[in-house]
Amino acid sequence: MGDVFNILLLQNTLRTATPVVLAALGCLMTQHVNITNIGIEGMMLIGAFFAVLGSYFAGSWVAGLACAVAMGVLLGLFYYVFVIKFGSDEFIIGVALNIFAGGLTVFLLRTIFDVKGSFSDPAIVPLPTVEIPLMKDVPILGPLLSGNTLLVYVSWLLVPVCWAFIYKTPMGFHLRAAGEYPDALTACGRSPARMKCLASVLCGVLSCLAGAHLSLGYLRMFSENMSAARGYVAFACVIFGRGNPPRVFLAALLFGFIEALGLRMQKYVPSDLTAMAPYVVTIVMMVAVVLMERRKRKRSV
Amino acid sequence: MRDFVQSLRALLRLKPSQKLTRDYLISLAAAVLLALMVGAGVMLLCGHDPIKGYGALVSGALGKPRAVGNTLAKTVTLCLTGLAMSLAAKAGIFNVGGEGQLYLGAMAAAVVGAQLRGVPAWLVTVLSLLAAMAAGGLYALLPGVLKVRWKVDEVITTIMLNSVAIYFCSFLANGPLKTAERGIATGTDSILKEAAFTPLIKLSNLTTGVFYAAVAALIVWYVMSRSSIGFEMKLTGENDRFARYGGIRTGKLMLWAMVMSGALCGMVGMLEVFGLHKRFLTTVSNEFYFDGMLVAMIMRYNPFGVILMSFFFAILSIGSKSMELSAGVSSELILIVQSIIIFFMAAEGGIRKEFSDRAALRRARASAVRKEEA
Repeated sequence: MGDVFNILLLQNTLRTATPVVLAALGCLMTQHVNITNIGIEGMMLIGAFFAVLGSYFAGSWVAGLACAVAMGVLLGLFYYVFVIKFGSDEFIIGVALNIFAGGLTVFLLRTIFDVKGSFSDPAIVPLPTVEIPLMKDVPILGPLLSGNTLLVYVSWLLVPVCWAFIYKTPMGFHLRAAGEYPDALTACGRSPARMKCLASVLCGVLSCLAGAHLSLGYLRMFSENMSAARGYVAFACVIFGRGNPPRVFLAALLFGFIEALGLRMQKYVPSDLTAMAPYVVTIVMMVAVVLMERRKRKRSV
Repeated sequence: MRDFVQSLRALLRLKPSQKLTRDYLISLAAAVLLALMVGAGVMLLCGHDPIKGYGALVSGALGKPRAVGNTLAKTVTLCLTGLAMSLAAKAGIFNVGGEGQLYLGAMAAAVVGAQLRGVPAWLVTVLSLLAAMAAGGLYALLPGVLKVRWKVDEVITTIMLNSVAIYFCSFLANGPLKTAERGIATGTDSILKEAAFTPLIKLSNLTTGVFYAAVAALIVWYVMSRSSIGFEMKLTGENDRFARYGGIRTGKLMLWAMVMSGALCGMVGMLEVFGLHKRFLTTVSNEFYFDGMLVAMIMRYNPFGVILMSFFFAILSIGSKSMELSAGVSSELILIVQSIIIFFMAAEGGIRKEFSDRAALRRARASAVRKEEA
């Protein structure tokens, strides 16, 4: 089993956790304004596709990211208009968005690139890897912390930034107020709807970045339904971490670890069974958080 | 007095109607037309002729007896999955895990159908059906219990259980239960030949299984709209605190709704196995449940509406394949059209309110201007 538990396992953990971290940070924003957004799955998928599209046609990863971010803004606005402005059921819109994303990406894949299943091409420029000069030579930490793609570092950076934004800035305070007590926010002369708009746009952008990392991070390709329920996993991480960025980050790392472990165990266990593991863990996480809260409440009584 | 009546009306309008009213159906027609027009626009953009595309779609779905059979078979699938979604949703619990329940049902039916020997063929069919319904129902019970006992969000758990079930069935079909037959990549042993359903229309997917489905649909319709259990479920779904106050055991009802929903999904899996594949294949379903969910949501979980809408969606999805073949339009366009219908129907109340607010504003302005002129 020595070939399973080694430094590569931790590297894979970081790799697989990153899209979940980004999507979970997005989901957390909408969670704080009291919107249950299960459409992140679809947002991720669209982000992944448009990142490849931009990168392929403009020949640069910057264009890919820009494309993904632009789609994120559009999707966020779309979500805001339908859920907040028209007051539709957020669950129905979320599910419809996921189905729409599946249809749209495959349709465009066939119409633009004329392929079925997946599209990979040397002309797709992947995200650059960043080597940290001094860190690189440290024995164990070196290969872990250095040489990752750009979005990995961005996701790490975003965790404290999001935490500070939500809990330490006036804007974040208003954001939370829009979710917890919108009337109070209205009474201060601010619009809860505007905060919700901000949250859903941020969610769209972060989810699309997560998608971009899926398609441009390590794989350099887009394949049908490549988000593979990671959006829902991100949602579960947010519930598990109760919307607090550092905790959500840890939950996402745990998910990444299980998935990486599964990938590396394939030699010993059938791959179908290892692929099941992350989803089982997610369910266990969802139950655990409820039980933990119960015990806490009991103790406080 | 008139003011009073108007404010009363305004108050009443605040409460969203959850029924299939005439207005709702008119909006539905408008949304369908709009979505089809968007589809036509996309076809034009891609350089295809929309009339030819939609023509191919209709003739592909209804042109030949065989095509009609396939469309009806698809209607049955959509209808049962849609009813499964409606059953649970009416009781206030969302079963998004039908896909997994369908897979497990298909697997259970395939195992019973292949292993059971020495009993009459019709008994094999019935027992397989029961096994499939039990597998689906029990699998749906798990998220139901988590929701009722511990309030764990059922949307996420059911989605996760989907992936778990699909991978588990794929593991079984690749490993312990893999058939020794040649030419079958990932599948179980073939079921007893005499127990399988026979086609009603030659070469089509429409089989005698449709009768089982019709009976199931009738039972569901009866339970939902004519029985006291159905009424209690509706109360639970609309206002569970009120229902509990009225002496209804809401938790138990939710669990029953979930189990019935799962059993229906398991049955769909069994119909696929006994009607089409004659064994479990990992490709037994292609997100059938999600299509059914769309139908159920559009029709606001009304069982009769679900049956009608299933037919329309079946035409779209069966026709889309021949549209791809003869007009060159990728069949995924239909998914886009379907989700646009959903977007607009979910937002129907909001859009209508927006319009009426604007109209009211305009009227108020006009009357103010008139007053000034006078």
